Amino acid sequence: MQPTPDKFLFISAVLFVCGVVCMTTKRNGIGILMGVELVLNAANLNFITFSRFTPLGLDGQVFSLFVIVLAAAEAAVALAIALNFYNNHLTIDVDRGDELHG
Amino acid sequence: MNEIGLLVQRLLDETTKTSVGLFVPELVLSGTIVAMLLCRILPLLWRVPAQWIALLGAFTAFAWTLCQFDQLVGGTLHATPIFTGLLMFDQFATFFRMFLCLFLILTITLTVLSGIPDREDAPDFYTLLLGATLGMMIMASANHLLMVFLGVEMASVPSYAMVGFLKGRKKSSEAALKYVVYGAGAAGVMLYGISLLAGLTGTGSLPEIGHRLSLIVSQGAGISDPIVRTIVLASLMVLVGLAFKLSVFPFHFWCPDVFEGAAAEVAGFLSVASKAGAFALLVRFGLAFSGGSAAVSEIAFALGIGIGVLAAATATFGNLSAYGQTNIKRMLAYSTIAHAGYMLMAVSALMVMKFSKHGGAESTAVTLSCIEGLIYYLFVYLFMNLGAFAIVALVRNQIFSEEIEDYNGLATQCPLLCFGMALCIFSLIGLPPMGGFFAKLVIFASVFKATSVHWAMWFVLGAGAINTVFGLFYYIRILKAMYLKPRPDGARKVSYDLMPVGLFVLMICLPTLGLGVLPARFAETFNNVASVLLTGR
Repeated sequence: MQPTPDKFLFISAVLFVCGVVCMTTKRNGIGILMGVELVLNAANLNFITFSRFTPLGLDGQVFSLFVIVLAAAEAAVALAIALNFYNNHLTIDVDRGDELHG
Repeated sequence: MNEIGLLVQRLLDETTKTSVGLFVPELVLSGTIVAMLLCRILPLLWRVPAQWIALLGAFTAFAWTLCQFDQLVGGTLHATPIFTGLLMFDQFATFFRMFLCLFLILTITLTVLSGIPDREDAPDFYTLLLGATLGMMIMASANHLLMVFLGVEMASVPSYAMVGFLKGRKKSSEAALKYVVYGAGAAGVMLYGISLLAGLTGTGSLPEIGHRLSLIVSQGAGISDPIVRTIVLASLMVLVGLAFKLSVFPFHFWCPDVFEGAAAEVAGFLSVASKAGAFALLVRFGLAFSGGSAAVSEIAFALGIGIGVLAAATATFGNLSAYGQTNIKRMLAYSTIAHAGYMLMAVSALMVMKFSKHGGAESTAVTLSCIEGLIYYLFVYLFMNLGAFAIVALVRNQIFSEEIEDYNGLATQCPLLCFGMALCIFSLIGLPPMGGFFAKLVIFASVFKATSVHWAMWFVLGAGAINTVFGLFYYIRILKAMYLKPRPDGARKVSYDLMPVGLFVLMICLPTLGLGVLPARFAETFNNVASVLLTGR
């Protein structure tokens, strides 16, 4: 059976929604970052699918390579910031960060 | 085999002969970052202060972009896509690169004067600062969807770290965590939108998008058409990422928290530089829809109206929320949200005029004045906003407070700082003859012309006008505290050196006046920038 893009795009859409739900409902800082990774990888799956089925071609694969690199850089910085938050607050529950409001 | 060899040869030629030469300012900044890190590793060079290396690099990059801009205007250099069309080298991009380098120089000078990174941390801080500026320069010249995402991320990731730079402060770490969590989320959504757009059009190149879209959108297709729906969804997702960077309602909530938690220098940097980069990117993204069929223009027109409504909401929300604030950085944060709203009105008017059905010579003239207004506003905004944040930073070093009530009676102790603050605030309010007034005038005039195309622009214009009045009252509170209230007994005394600090304050505050008095000088340059971007001439 010839593969069609629909199935891949469907999986990527499910991943995207899972990621967004994870970002919006989790109270744990690390949990939110996991949601972000899901969203980024949903986009990656899209790029790979489009590079196979549309004239986007190799551009799509280059896109996803760069996204992987950037996701790693972003995760490194985000984890460092989460650690810094933990050192100051002794928790990474984002709801406990309530000194700034108004 | 031979074909591949030819291809590689052509790529090498293109890269080495044209692209790298035009990319020198960015390379200089990258080299400066490496030099600062090297100085940290080699014990012999430990004594070289990082701020001087950073300043040298920023000056070189600024001088280079200035030369490039001069040659572009003079006609010796020509606008061209570089690196196989990934980046665009034109007046618009070079103007923003120059703008960002100038701003980088001013920010580094400010940090040297206020001493926010101590000796130990200086190389790290300036590495992040230069890295973020590099990302913003790429945002301004992005010509490909990949570069759109890379630029936004390269500007964001160092900014996250800079916000959390104050060690051992609870507020700073909280601000950084909020910024990184929201920022990463917005970037993820934006990337998903980019992937949909790239998949629909089969290309990442921004100038081709309008043409490719018109191939897949059938004539007269409404919002019920699945392809139109996907295009609108993808564009909205990309706009979410940009709106986050611009702190546009409803993606503004990070802005006050981050500005309050971060050092005033960093807040000043973020408020101007990252907005400038994001506005350049927004304009490029908006213009990507041009060159398509009438159906594509219709989608872009609807997006323009949507942006206008968001702009009105942003300006109103920013101004109204600023009222109850007692912390000056938080108030200035809401004020930057409001100003982002004004500038967004220019973008909205641009999209509406550009993609309206009744195009013509007159609408081209209005689109030109929209871009001119945006650039003029950003240029004034650089000085007035950086000035305000710089004075907040300098006063903080003396009284260790950023509450407005602690500013009571400061005018008796540091008349120069208060005078600078007054200039910046008059310009932020938009009183004549300050630069802020004329910049607002140009933007409102172009929005007014756009009202002839669609009635919704009346709403935008009305919101803009009402907000100018709203803004008056909360800014005045700072001046009232400084000039009219008495200095309480036992309050900390403010003293500063006239020579470097006073000179610096005058240097960034006086241009707000100069830009208002001498607008004709700049108009021609701005007109040139706008006309090359829109008409290619």
